[in-house]
Amino acid sequence: MLNPFRSEQEAFRFLLYVGAAAAIIAGVALILRAI
Amino acid sequence: MESASLAAGHEHEHSPEGKHEHPPEANQSSRVDAQYLGMLLFIISEVMLFGAFFTAYFFIRVVGDSPWPAEGTELPVAIAGINTAILVSSSFTMHWALEGARNENRRAMQVGLLTTTLLGLAFLCIQINEYVHLGFAPSDSAQGSIFYSLTGLHGAHVFIGLLLLTFATTRAFRGHFSAKEHRGVEIPGIYWHFVDVMWIVVYTTIYVV
Repeated sequence: MLNPFRSEQEAFRFLLYVGAAAAIIAGVALILRAI
Repeated sequence: MESASLAAGHEHEHSPEGKHEHPPEANQSSRVDAQYLGMLLFIISEVMLFGAFFTAYFFIRVVGDSPWPAEGTELPVAIAGINTAILVSSSFTMHWALEGARNENRRAMQVGLLTTTLLGLAFLCIQINEYVHLGFAPSDSAQGSIFYSLTGLHGAHVFIGLLLLTFATTRAFRGHFSAKEHRGVEIPGIYWHFVDVMWIVVYTTIYVV
């Protein structure tokens, strides 16, 4: 299981996941606003 | 102290005068390394702190049903977006620095740490410049208060991260750290990624959504 506190590598991977999730949320929000 | 450490079963080196030559080994009862445990507890407390500020933000926006941002004000989404890219790229250089430390690539570690520090500094400077040109103050509205509170809280964390990075960078250029011992880079690295994660959440909720 991913534990961002265990090592820098896992923290970095967690950051990438959060970035991807935020991009999806922002994309959906912008599309909904445009409609 | 002597009796307590003897009771713990530690052996000590004594000088001919009977004085300790080294302080006794610290007792460690947890399986987790003390430094990691410290950073873990610190970050958990930070998440709760940010949570309190986000609660205030969502209360104003969702429960209070107030317009966001306040009427007559505008947030510089594009500039903050560039700032986000700067901060996220600093996490990549931080990761690169640590990979350098792990692979005994001293130059990569030094350049990575220095670049991370400079990118973090650039982020902070751009944010201060944003504050100067925003055109509204924290006292103008509830939205203004929570905007400055959340972004300011994050900015304070970037500042602390920069202090940690400055220490790590200085040590790296002084020849510290190796493939086996690079905790002084890894712990600030975990903290720096946490700061970046928080900014992604702050930027997405405050500027974009």
